[in-house]
Amino acid sequence: MQRSLFSQLRPGLLAAALLLTGCYSREDLKSDAGGNKAAETTEASENKVPAAASATDAEPSSVVAATGPLQQANIFLEVSGSMEGFMPKTGADAQNTRFQQHVAQFLSDVNRSGSVQRKTFYRIKEKPYRDSYQQLETTVREGIREPASSTSIPAILDTLVSHYYQPNAVSVLISDFIYAPRNAGAVPYIKTDITDALNAAGRSGLAVSVYGYTSDFKGAFYPAMKTAAKRINRCCDTDIPYYVWVIGPADAVRRFDAALLKKAPGEQAHFGVKYLAPVSSLLNKFQNQGSWYYGEKDASKRAAGASYHTVAVSEVSAQQPVEFVLGMNLQTLPTLYQDLGYLKANLQLTGQDTDAKIVSVFEATDQTRASSGPEAQYTHFVKIRVTKMGKAARPLQVILQDKRPMWITQWTTKNDSNINQVGAKTFALSSLIDGVAAVTTDEQDQAPIFQIPLTLQPAD
Amino acid sequence: MQSFFRFLYELIGTPQPPADTPVYRQIVFPNIGLLNLGISLALVIIFYYLINRAMGVATFNKLRHWTLFLVLNALIAFIVVVWQAKAQQVTDHSYIYWLATLNAVYGLLFYFLFSVILRKGSTNASTTPF
Repeated sequence: MQRSLFSQLRPGLLAAALLLTGCYSREDLKSDAGGNKAAETTEASENKVPAAASATDAEPSSVVAATGPLQQANIFLEVSGSMEGFMPKTGADAQNTRFQQHVAQFLSDVNRSGSVQRKTFYRIKEKPYRDSYQQLETTVREGIREPASSTSIPAILDTLVSHYYQPNAVSVLISDFIYAPRNAGAVPYIKTDITDALNAAGRSGLAVSVYGYTSDFKGAFYPAMKTAAKRINRCCDTDIPYYVWVIGPADAVRRFDAALLKKAPGEQAHFGVKYLAPVSSLLNKFQNQGSWYYGEKDASKRAAGASYHTVAVSEVSAQQPVEFVLGMNLQTLPTLYQDLGYLKANLQLTGQDTDAKIVSVFEATDQTRASSGPEAQYTHFVKIRVTKMGKAARPLQVILQDKRPMWITQWTTKNDSNINQVGAKTFALSSLIDGVAAVTTDEQDQAPIFQIPLTLQPAD
Repeated sequence: MQSFFRFLYELIGTPQPPADTPVYRQIVFPNIGLLNLGISLALVIIFYYLINRAMGVATFNKLRHWTLFLVLNALIAFIVVVWQAKAQQVTDHSYIYWLATLNAVYGLLFYFLFSVILRKGSTNASTTPF
């Protein structure tokens, strides 16, 4: 009796057991992910937005390069007469200039850095002269012994790109960058002179980072425009700008910038340097509004560090707008591109069949950093609002445009013959920069600093 | 399977808040659906085959006993949803309790259907509930 009962019960129990083991959990999905991944990726690449997908795949690989330290950095300090005012011979008053303090510190940082294997130091007179670190440091601190007559900026740049350009190495030029053309008629050709100089060796992938500083100046100032006087003795009442240019292959410049000039005070601009697309993700529980969710197939896993770039919208209208926030970690970019003002002015959104627009751009706060949510990983946030969208999946791109920073025009003067009135400006700086930009950027197709592809799709 | 449970549980509307939709559709719905089916079946088997056949209990075959199990099953179905919602860390929302109520209703339904199908195999309760 008993036995036969059990045999009758067995099918039912089996069915119950089967049903119970069929339950899903996160862990199951995670372990499944390995097996499913291949299938998912092929599906994704065939998916509706091939343009966006290929952009993400291609972007990092074109920038990816050797890690580890840079092979070499060549540091060049211009020591012509015009630089004497930055490095006055230490007198009885033992005062030094901000240039001396800053450059001495910078040279020391470079010399100490583990990010560069070989560091070589040069004084630039009519040609570069090899110095030891100590010799150059002494020159900066105690003043120029025998100033060179004058050195023309294009000639220096030509030398640097022709003889010191190597893969995985940079040249760093510290100078006031006052370029005096032969006569007033040659002024319009400043841009061309710089372009030709940088292009002399026909280097492809050349990049230049320009850092601008100002310093007090105690000595004779040699203006580029000699209409009033050839030199202004006992100058200056105003600060005088000086610059650090980092020249080399794009990848090397990016890494040198990141290693040694990350926290550089002063102004900066970058030309031809390419950056990895920053780490980013949509945030579904951070200032979100309206009916939307992650459109990724594996969105339920919520694995640590997972990132999402697809917005599935179930309902949207003018009365019920959808708002979502994209978190980005911009820490690897130069400080210029982390600047909120720059981001607000140059972050753009492009999409199709939608009125999606950027509502606000903001930085991480103590609150977001201390959050247990994924927003804690990001340094900057972009909030996007949508009230209208297409009937199928459409690409949406967040793009940071490469725009020349304002300070370059502000620091430019057309006539420096009366520098004390003009203030801390450099003769024809924007023309010099134009010359650089012409070499490093393709004028037909100006590449953005980065682009983050998103997909906007109706909920299924 | 997912789409079946999705159909079943989205009769009361899409998950709220919308951000948790993927978690509900891919994890919570299948889990609570399968558990509900399994537990309903288990309780029916316990009532008809264990108590009213294997154990030979003669005093537990009335409609009120069957109803006791029915209500117990609905209660479990309700609790399972609340527990799953906590376990999958979805955002607190009144939706969880609407979903739990719906699941309890499905629990009643599943228990009734399994009863109708399986009651014939019982010795003492083959005519319960009717």
